[in-house]
Amino acid sequence: MVNVEEIRDYAASLLEKEEVKAVLGFRRGSASAFAEPCTITEVGEAASLVWDPTCLNNLALYLVKDRKQQAVAKTPDNRPVGIVAKGCDSRAVGVLLQENFFKREDVVVIGVSCEGTGVVDSNKLSDKLKGKTASRITFSGADDINVSVYGDETETVIPAQEILADRCLECRAATPTLHDVVFGDTVEARDFNEPFHAAKEAESASEDERWATWEHHFDRCLRCFACRAVCPMCYCHECVVDSTTFVVTLGTSAEEKANRIRWCERSANTSESAVYHLTRAIHLAGRCIDCGECERVCPVNIPLRLLNTKLEKEAFEMFEYQAGHDIEQASLLSSFRDEDPNSFIR
Amino acid sequence: MTKRTGVFVCHCGKNIAATVDVKKVAQDLAKDDGVVFSEDYVYMCSDPGQTAVIDAIKDNDLNGMVISCCSPTLHEKTFRDASELGDLNAFQCEIANIREQCAWVHNDMDVATEKALKITRASVRRVQHNQALEPIGVPVTRRALVVGAGIAGIQAALDLTDAGLDVILVEKQATIGGNMLKLSETFPTLDCSQCILSPKMVSVSKNSKIKLMTESEVESISGFVGNFKVKIKKKAEFVDPELCKLCDDCTPVCPVAVPNQYDVGLTNRRAIHIPFAQAIPASFTLDEEACLGLDPVVCGKCEEVCDVGAIDYDKKPTVTEEDIGAIVVSTGFDLYGMEHMGEFGGGRYPDVLDGLQFERLCSASGATEGHIMRPSDHKVPKEIVFIQCSGSRDPENHCAYCSKICCMYTAKHATLYKHHVPDGQAYIFYIDIRSGGKGYEEFVQRSMENDGVIYLRGRVSKVYEKDGKLKVMGVDTLAGRNVEINADMVVLAQAMEPSKGTAEIAKILKIGRDKDGFLAEAHPKLKPVESVTAGIFLAGAAQGPKDIPETVSQASAAASKVIALLSKEQLAHSPTVAKVRDPYCTGCEMCVDACPYDAIALVDGKASVNEVLCEGCGSCAGVCVRAAIDVKNVTQLQVHEMISAIMA
Repeated sequence: MVNVEEIRDYAASLLEKEEVKAVLGFRRGSASAFAEPCTITEVGEAASLVWDPTCLNNLALYLVKDRKQQAVAKTPDNRPVGIVAKGCDSRAVGVLLQENFFKREDVVVIGVSCEGTGVVDSNKLSDKLKGKTASRITFSGADDINVSVYGDETETVIPAQEILADRCLECRAATPTLHDVVFGDTVEARDFNEPFHAAKEAESASEDERWATWEHHFDRCLRCFACRAVCPMCYCHECVVDSTTFVVTLGTSAEEKANRIRWCERSANTSESAVYHLTRAIHLAGRCIDCGECERVCPVNIPLRLLNTKLEKEAFEMFEYQAGHDIEQASLLSSFRDEDPNSFIR
Repeated sequence: MTKRTGVFVCHCGKNIAATVDVKKVAQDLAKDDGVVFSEDYVYMCSDPGQTAVIDAIKDNDLNGMVISCCSPTLHEKTFRDASELGDLNAFQCEIANIREQCAWVHNDMDVATEKALKITRASVRRVQHNQALEPIGVPVTRRALVVGAGIAGIQAALDLTDAGLDVILVEKQATIGGNMLKLSETFPTLDCSQCILSPKMVSVSKNSKIKLMTESEVESISGFVGNFKVKIKKKAEFVDPELCKLCDDCTPVCPVAVPNQYDVGLTNRRAIHIPFAQAIPASFTLDEEACLGLDPVVCGKCEEVCDVGAIDYDKKPTVTEEDIGAIVVSTGFDLYGMEHMGEFGGGRYPDVLDGLQFERLCSASGATEGHIMRPSDHKVPKEIVFIQCSGSRDPENHCAYCSKICCMYTAKHATLYKHHVPDGQAYIFYIDIRSGGKGYEEFVQRSMENDGVIYLRGRVSKVYEKDGKLKVMGVDTLAGRNVEINADMVVLAQAMEPSKGTAEIAKILKIGRDKDGFLAEAHPKLKPVESVTAGIFLAGAAQGPKDIPETVSQASAAASKVIALLSKEQLAHSPTVAKVRDPYCTGCEMCVDACPYDAIALVDGKASVNEVLCEGCGSCAGVCVRAAIDVKNVTQLQVHEMISAIMA
């Protein structure tokens, strides 16, 4: 079982030795039992770091944000950043490294194994607690999670299978592969759902049913772009399907300005939203590391994870490609092998 | 700038006009924004057609035009040249393909007209955003590489040096000459193969402009037409050809015997050997795989007896990089394996031979010194059966194609057999006789009439051994009866297939292959010696089954293409290359990985295109999730416009 003191000590020593300018981690949230992301820059702050099943966020997002800030800063601070990373988070760092977004030496990955469990799904937990609010959620050390609620401090033990996020139930690499240090036991296989379980289940519906489902979801989409904002892979300067961030530089010609293309409009109607989500899914093929953040932040609960895991399933079944597993590997989209199953490529 | 676009719709005789209402296409497009001229004509590519185009450009002050006709592979160049003659930049001219992509694939005129209209309209919208571009001039390396030194490669190399070019001739085997060196006499004149080939081989070895590299293979290639860089790997040269004086002291002491591939397995040879007495380079060679480990402790006998010290076991393979302007690929053929012909006893009975083995039996340089005898008991076969189309023209079980030369060489084999064994009887089973070629039909007739060869029209079902004879069970469909022949020898006219390694060289050189595995020509009629990759040409049986005269013609044709290419001071490279939109590039390197031409590199964290290497294929644009890279004149905007035009 992970001892949180070890994480704190390691973070403190990184800061003390000035090996990093900051450590990205989790601290106790102020509003609920859920942890919140934090940036630690002082040795003393390291004591506030926590590690429990509520450390939901993919902190790689903040690495991206930092790089973007430094790129436009007058006096950029390019010292390395430390990051507390679960298995999925470390894969995100892997994809970013594959894509040259930053260099390996720019990041210190403090890997934390999810061991036998993972992070909880707040919706599943709410259902379980039947309206009560959790005050404390901790790892039990086994395949279940201890939960206490306000007003009743006795811990209830809930089987992990019942409240873990879907992605954790399907996770094949709960221990970070890419790391500078790793805390917790290395876990190979876990006894939850098979990989791509949810995507396979969704696939089993008829074409008409699936179309009806997605039409319904796209119809509800508010186009708030929270899914894009939270995704560490959506780091483009200009989003192809949303040209409000059109980049104008000295080199931008008048014709380019006049002729900027709008592949998809911002209006939140079913067809435009479908184009937005499907384009985003395609752009994440072979890049999505299944941190589930898009689905978690969606205010109208669109099961966005299904779109992305469906493509990752294809990538795995057809090309044995797993995003973020090997930073030396060429990206799925930009590479081909001679033994490719499709003959047209030869 | 105001758009002044011209549209020219071609009838292509009836090719397009039969299915597409070309007049309607032209009239409808005349109403489109920016279209100031729109006409149709029966043959746009003809002289009056082109003149009309040139005049229209001048009269209407066009700044863009679309020719709605056949595939751009056929006439893009024609009309871009016409465009230049009308003082309109060549890259302001685009082709809309309404023949292959429309007229030829539809029957319904209304539907086809609608589609032709959309295809043309898409091109109009595209050309209205085209930039005027100038071709990129690139220098030329005046040096050619010929891969494969059979008769095709030898002929091409000699022709190239006649034009003053330097040539590197690469051959995988230890001697040049290829399959032709194994033949006895050649049809239809029956002149001896060696007598006509050997002088050419000697010319190669004495030609100072040819750098001959035997036991070598192309390992990798980079660069582009006019400026290839080719890595050639040469096997370790254990016997120094300069020192070897052909004394043949080494073979008697060599303890290893392996089948001799130059005798198609009819004889054995030593690990140290000379392929043929007339081999070029004239030197013994050491078969690395057969030699006892190249370890002097284990054997080392040949080194001991070599007076001149030509043998050195410590030699290592070498890799050299050569600058090359153009390449001729002439990697030849192999016979379709006998092991596939189980029903004919192929690979099972020693007296069932393939065509090349029979050539070795007839050849004065073969194991029997030209006496035809059975490999099993060295008796002269008195009855011999030749089976044509063995493995050819059988799409269900073997090769679908006709191997083209078997009718002729089987007639030749039967004739040669009768010359060697006057009292013998030759039978030939055939499907039909294809003797198209100068003097070919007469040759076949002679074999029937003068040499009494019995031609049986029909197939053989089975060959099996009984009482020391090969029982051939066949059918004579003309007489309508079954035939049984007790033969002493059976010769299978095996199909030709691309030589082993053709797939690999095609992959290395990035040239395509056809469905049968032969190297693909760029156009079956108009570009028969060009590969799909610029600067790489094809010659000989690697491109398709062919006989010696055709092979030599094609080799000379390929050579003349190379000469034409390398006679220019500079080559014009298409300017429709990729261009990076810097602000959007995040330096993820996906395009760098995806580029098949190694034309993109990261410079200061952004992708940067080497315009000379770029072929404008658009792979980069396809993988860039940020749309940060575009191909000139096929920009995102243009694609968007084209899609809008088609979907409208």
